[in-house]
Amino acid sequence: MTIRLLLRKRFRKLIANSKGFSSVIGTTFMVLVMMFLSTSVFLWTLSQNTLYNEAVRARNQEESDRRNENVVAVSGNYSVSGNEVTVNVMLRNAGSVAAQIINLWVLDTDPSNRRYANKSLNLNLNPGNVTNLVESSPLTVTIPGANASHNFASWFVTGRGNTIPLEKEQAVIVAQLAQGIGSLALDFATFRFFTYANSTMLANYSDGIKSFNVPSRTSIAFGVVLTNLDPRKQTITLNLYSQVWLYFPKSPGQSTVFYIVNVASDGTITTPYSPITVAFGETKLIVFASNVAGGQTTVSISSSVENLPCALNLLLLGTIGTRDYGQNIPFVSLYVYKP
Amino acid sequence: MDLRKVWKLLHGRRAVSVVVSNVILTGAVIAVSFVVLLWAQYRSSAYNAQYGEALNADIARLKERLAFEYAFYSGGNLTVYLMNCGTIDNENVTAVYVSTSTGELIKASSSITLMHFNGTQIADKDLDRGEEGYFTLSSLNLVTGTSYSIRVVTGRGSTFDHTFIA
Repeated sequence: MTIRLLLRKRFRKLIANSKGFSSVIGTTFMVLVMMFLSTSVFLWTLSQNTLYNEAVRARNQEESDRRNENVVAVSGNYSVSGNEVTVNVMLRNAGSVAAQIINLWVLDTDPSNRRYANKSLNLNLNPGNVTNLVESSPLTVTIPGANASHNFASWFVTGRGNTIPLEKEQAVIVAQLAQGIGSLALDFATFRFFTYANSTMLANYSDGIKSFNVPSRTSIAFGVVLTNLDPRKQTITLNLYSQVWLYFPKSPGQSTVFYIVNVASDGTITTPYSPITVAFGETKLIVFASNVAGGQTTVSISSSVENLPCALNLLLLGTIGTRDYGQNIPFVSLYVYKP
Repeated sequence: MDLRKVWKLLHGRRAVSVVVSNVILTGAVIAVSFVVLLWAQYRSSAYNAQYGEALNADIARLKERLAFEYAFYSGGNLTVYLMNCGTIDNENVTAVYVSTSTGELIKASSSITLMHFNGTQIADKDLDRGEEGYFTLSSLNLVTGTSYSIRVVTGRGSTFDHTFIA
């Protein structure tokens, strides 16, 4: 008998034998059950682990973005008017991710008035973007009891939860400079002039017309934004002789004077003149409009100087602290055109 | 197979008991197998649900993040300003611990009332994504100018720490 025949005979015998049939079925079932369950549990666990890994990856990405967020707040300084503290600052996104500024916190660190305030913001900065909040839209918060002589600290909060402290570097430089040229600083970029809505009311107050070309033969007034940067942090009071003085190099002897005036919020010039005070750190719009000191007589530039350039000087007089004060601020040039 | 053989097979009584017993045994094995399958599936489903819950809780915790905007101490009251800068809503504060820089516990509080920055109470008592709020701890006796740390515990079990100077 060959091996092949022997195997065939044994196989037939195995098929014909019904003994242990149920055990075979049972074992097969058990194996199938185990395979089915283990496979389903394994695949489900795998999917859950994928979810978890996805969440971890997202968290790592957020953390990476948060660490890469790098917004700097420079050129910061404070000005105080009553309880209003204005923060002037330049924000620059020096990081590689876009940032959203959602909050500004300002803290009065003076021991006598440890108070704080915050202001909600919605500033979006792409990488490389610079937002200059010095000129365009200053940030003002209300801190009861705030004073220009107090020191302030402030910081911004981003949407990712980072805080950006404000650096006061430039304010220190300006204050040091102020010691050499005078305590009041003129904001050159916001120089403006006004026309009149009627004989006592300025038109479009307080925006005016931001230009260095002014009309002749038209009643106008000048508006300058001054900041008190006195290194000794004293308040400056401007008396009625403070004035804007125009002189024309091509027309010697020709000059025009605009005296300081008080202006109500609607643009109405009020008389008699009441001395204007500028506290340390405070920024104020000062208007020069009158032909006479302390009064209110409109001024216009003569037609004889039409189409000529002129120099504008601010002659500021009054007191600083308890002492007399006088400062001359030049630097503005105007061109008089024929309207 | 002719009809005579089929007739003989159907009416033959030999080995009937063996066939019946085999059928019964096989049926019983199949039935028990199905019961075992259902039980095993039930057990694995319970395991899946438990594992899924734990995993979802872990994922939710991963998404939580609280930023401390400011902590201000004055007159025995500590006011802590928070923002939810995570990626999940309903972040609530269940416990707050204030301790010294050396870890000595000064105050533990589990009754925290979250307020909006404008002073009104937050209705749903939690911070959603991007939402800001604050809470106040009273009756503290901190030394001004000293560094302290504060730990905030959320309802999902995350902890966030912050150091401040009173």
